[in-house]
Amino acid sequence: MSKLKLNLGPQHPSTHGVLRLILELEGEKISSCEPDVGYLHRGMEKMAEKLSYIQYLPLVDRIDYLAGFFYSELFCRTVEKALGIELSLRVKAVRVLLLELNRIASHLLWMGSFLMDLGAVSPFFYAFRERELILKYFEKISGQRMMNNYFVFGGLRRDIAFLEDVENIIKILPDKIRDYENLITENPIFIQRTKGKGILDKETAFNFGITGVNLRASGINLDFRKKDYLYEEIEFNPVVLDGCDAAARYKGRILEMKESIKIISQVLEILRLEKEFKQQLINPLNLTLPEGEYIQEIEAPRGLASIYIKSTGEKSPYRLKWRTGSYYSVNLLRNILKGAYLNDAIAISGSLDIILPEVDK
Amino acid sequence: MFKNIKYLLLSMFVVFKHLFKKPVTLEYPEKKITPPKEFRGKPVVKNCKGCGICLRVCPSGAIQIDKENSSFKIDLKKCIFCGNCAYYCPHGAIKMSEEYELASNDKEDLIMNYRIGGVDERN
Repeated sequence: MSKLKLNLGPQHPSTHGVLRLILELEGEKISSCEPDVGYLHRGMEKMAEKLSYIQYLPLVDRIDYLAGFFYSELFCRTVEKALGIELSLRVKAVRVLLLELNRIASHLLWMGSFLMDLGAVSPFFYAFRERELILKYFEKISGQRMMNNYFVFGGLRRDIAFLEDVENIIKILPDKIRDYENLITENPIFIQRTKGKGILDKETAFNFGITGVNLRASGINLDFRKKDYLYEEIEFNPVVLDGCDAAARYKGRILEMKESIKIISQVLEILRLEKEFKQQLINPLNLTLPEGEYIQEIEAPRGLASIYIKSTGEKSPYRLKWRTGSYYSVNLLRNILKGAYLNDAIAISGSLDIILPEVDK
Repeated sequence: MFKNIKYLLLSMFVVFKHLFKKPVTLEYPEKKITPPKEFRGKPVVKNCKGCGICLRVCPSGAIQIDKENSSFKIDLKKCIFCGNCAYYCPHGAIKMSEEYELASNDKEDLIMNYRIGGVDERN
């Protein structure tokens, strides 16, 4: 049978950005897939070499604009650890609160757009409606919805406020998540489109460097929050499922949202007790890191995010490198799409939660 | 079979429940939201001393200071509204205002001219 070459993207609405997949088809089956990335490349790593640390800080939010707080926290954390700054309990709690709200917002957007890819329109609007609550709160405290620029080296821009909004959000969300589950989880059409599709076994997941929910939905218990110093006081159970397919990855994200709500309620408890807001801010104008190499990591919504900074003691880093979860998920598409039907290609690539700004940086 | 019908009915119920809810969107040009207090809109400068700290924290090079002519320019085409300049200004001269409708027909309109020291004089 002759092979047909098909370009999926770069302007396809289901690729969430500009991902181009060069597919080779045999009939309706995909025989090979070649992801072509780089359409959204902004030179994030090179830019760091020209800018000082404080100038680079607002840009960090834009690496993954759906989960800006995570990268902001990662960058601030690297500088803090390098300079030996300790955070107070309240600042730590606020950071966890915002990270988890951000994780929920990111998963909600994923859920809406994934269901949209599968052809369901209503969940998209419901998910965006709830996400809006969270983004409104971010706007209230930080000034912008997505490019927050709220964490600074050594603390926060200002003390957290409007905590009653967060209480309201975590009161509303469980009901809404139940609605989504009534709508989606057991829906026979959804099950037919996702059950057994895009099987990612343990070994492949490990070999391709997959992290985050995608890995945990393949039965491997690896959550970097367990080792994170911000989460020391907080109890939670990582969501581990052994479905290995697109349906399991969907379920993992829904359960993770519920887990995040539990974390947020614990954090609110800490914030109620710990009223005093103190932080040790540093003057960013002459900020330099001591000579050496620094690595930090964090569990972002799309897998492990880590940063590498090499400093020669000057005002800007000598080299800065980001490791983002989506990049590895894109690479996995070569393997996971092989032998799948063209109809399922979007469902499978959608289930991996690929965000292109994070891939291209 | 019955299980499937049950879940389809359940999901239909969820969708129909939303028929009787108020819309969450706003008819934008007629109705507008009021931005929150911390909102980062167009930067506004007042009583600038010309110390130049904002230059050093601006990531995009949107600020231009000419001390001889005592002019202070912010290029809104370059500004990314990160709020660094307002946060680090030692005199509190730069404020991120609540103005967010910044589209213009002329590129020149997007360069905000201010004066260093004394009373403000726009354009």
